[in-house]
Amino acid sequence: MLFFRSEENASKWCEERGVPLNPLVTMEQLWKMASAWYATRLQADSRRPKPDEIRQIFTSIGLQGDFWDPQSDNFG
Amino acid sequence: MDFDTQVKLAIYHHFVETGRRPAPEDITARVDAEVDQVLEAYNHLREQRVLVLEEDGVSICSAPPFSGVPTQHRVVVSGKEYFANCAWDALGIPAALQAPGTVFSRCEASGDPLELQVSLDGPEASDWYFHCLVPAAQWWQDIVFT
Repeated sequence: MLFFRSEENASKWCEERGVPLNPLVTMEQLWKMASAWYATRLQADSRRPKPDEIRQIFTSIGLQGDFWDPQSDNFG
Repeated sequence: MDFDTQVKLAIYHHFVETGRRPAPEDITARVDAEVDQVLEAYNHLREQRVLVLEEDGVSICSAPPFSGVPTQHRVVVSGKEYFANCAWDALGIPAALQAPGTVFSRCEASGDPLELQVSLDGPEASDWYFHCLVPAAQWWQDIVFT
């Protein structure tokens, strides 16, 4: 899970390593992911989101499809 | 509050206060217990995916979003330096601390430095991107690689 300066840089980095360029996430989307996962992490009753909740979080910020589905079986 | 939760909070409080991972002895002092009891709680927390431990079963590799070891993702909040496990967790540290901070990292392709101000409302406007190699369904197959 890495930062890239541009889409071109991410694409080049993936191509050089023979790995797929997956959907890119903006910093605004990343903040929403980080907040959803960690805003309550220091509290006694905090817990990791469940699969249905993960799917709902991703969908709400525009990240959809098998890549973001925590229960997808479409990957090796 | 059950003992595992006490240990979890003690670990997080240590990270927050020091920016570094605790040794088991640091936790025993906080929860008034023996090392064996703390290590048993570590294992429970690992099973719950709250902690990632190193192979010795004693050293904390990660208590997300905090990394127990130095990484390329540094976050400074209120003058204190923290290490994040990944780009996601770099933004997760200000989110967890509910405090503004600065994320220092780099473009993995070019090496260009990233310095990103994060307020309580989120990061400043930025045209950088986050990329994940591993699909969500496989994140915990090897969370350190992910």
